Amino acid sequence: MKDFARRMIGIDRRIIFLLIAAAVLLPLLRPFGLPIKISPEVRAVYDYIEALPERSVFLLSFDFDPSSKPELEPQAVALLRHAFRKNLRVIGMTHWLTGTGLADDIFSRVAAEMGRERGKDYVFLGWSPGAGSLVIAMGQDLYQAFPSDYQKTPTQGMPVLAGVRNLRDVNYMVSLAAGNPGIEMWYVFGKDKYRFEMAGGSTGVIAPGLYPFLRSGQINGLIGGLQGAAEYETLIKQKGTATAGMDAQSATHFVIIILVLLCNVFYFVLRGEKGKAN
Amino acid sequence: MIFLKRQLPLAITFVMGVAFAIQYYVPHPVSEEAITNVSKWMQIISGFALALGLASLFHVHAVKIKRQVPGWGYSLVLYITMVVTIVVGFWSRGETTVDGAKTGLGWLYDNMMVPLQGTMFSILAFFIASAAYRAFRARSREASVLLVSAVLVMMGRVPLGQFLLPWTWDVTQWLLNVVNSAVRRAILIGVSMGQVALSLKIILGIERAYLGGGRDQ
Repeated sequence: MKDFARRMIGIDRRIIFLLIAAAVLLPLLRPFGLPIKISPEVRAVYDYIEALPERSVFLLSFDFDPSSKPELEPQAVALLRHAFRKNLRVIGMTHWLTGTGLADDIFSRVAAEMGRERGKDYVFLGWSPGAGSLVIAMGQDLYQAFPSDYQKTPTQGMPVLAGVRNLRDVNYMVSLAAGNPGIEMWYVFGKDKYRFEMAGGSTGVIAPGLYPFLRSGQINGLIGGLQGAAEYETLIKQKGTATAGMDAQSATHFVIIILVLLCNVFYFVLRGEKGKAN
Repeated sequence: MIFLKRQLPLAITFVMGVAFAIQYYVPHPVSEEAITNVSKWMQIISGFALALGLASLFHVHAVKIKRQVPGWGYSLVLYITMVVTIVVGFWSRGETTVDGAKTGLGWLYDNMMVPLQGTMFSILAFFIASAAYRAFRARSREASVLLVSAVLVMMGRVPLGQFLLPWTWDVTQWLLNVVNSAVRRAILIGVSMGQVALSLKIILGIERAYLGGGRDQ
């Protein structure tokens, strides 16, 4: 038993890699589709958008790059589908230069799917430097911060921006963030000064760090990781890549849990042996 | 020279620091106009910082290639890919799509940047699993608490765990909303107090490291 435990504790990490690969691949090939529970923090985002009147202004900031695409793209797609379905005016932008192409692609794809028109129903402003100072600039005058959109069309006079002068005219804002600049920065430089309601969407890694902002009401909702995206897809009743990926995530979590528990069993077997020797 | 290198930056920092701390509480049009203009300057400075960073990156890796220090091959790869991306970027006039068709820059982004960044991040799953297997051991009481919480949260955050042990969902929500929030809040308050103290030290000229070194310092 002790020899076995010793061998298992020093197991070749490639075997662990293989187990993880199988846990990711097999559920993707044969999904088991377990029901998704809705958390209050995700429901809060859904309910707020649901309660917005038609043609309200919804700002979606894509604060991520391709490395976080698997978690944050499904969140963006679900939020955009919901916003377009509610006939909101959507303003998109990004603080991450390397995420600009990805954000534009997601925006164009979902808008085309929902039959929405660029300039009339939505606008993608693209990227501009400054992060916090860009938010302040947008809070003072949106047209000076972004004189033109990502397609180089002047923003002044765009039907989608009718009646919008600055961030004070935004009815709801969601930052989908993989780090900084992201949700915290939007709160500090944006919501706190320009008084708009906001929520966050984040990768699973940074979600626990955002709970204090949620509990204090600084953000009214939080979509955390792939699980949060799957919850939002369930709420809008349109399943996507997040729901499909949750089976793989379930299996991977279970493989890791089993590995950790086994490792502890082997550890205690060997510790018992050491104790006796002493 | 001492005036330009030392007194003038200190004076600018003091005046701007005090003025814009007060500005936040003054909603007068003059104050609003000032923050509008300053935010524009800050955006322009951020743009220059990007260019400066790029120039610095070119310089650092050029030196590594020239001196053929260990790992200089990676610098060469970085140099070639940066130059190719810049050339293709100029050739595509900075556009990723034109009339719905992908430009060279768009092709590079979709077929190089997106898969490479995705691969780098997804590799983490394998390393985290391997590291968890080796490091997550109940060596002490504190480590045991961490281990049990981690296992519960991992169960409660996925449908399979919620299906097999439904109570893990409620425990996870409690751990995230109460225990995790309290600890994170304590860290946030500590960090924020530190930031306020450091800002005050910079504004008052006590902390001068940002001025850099030099003969005149």
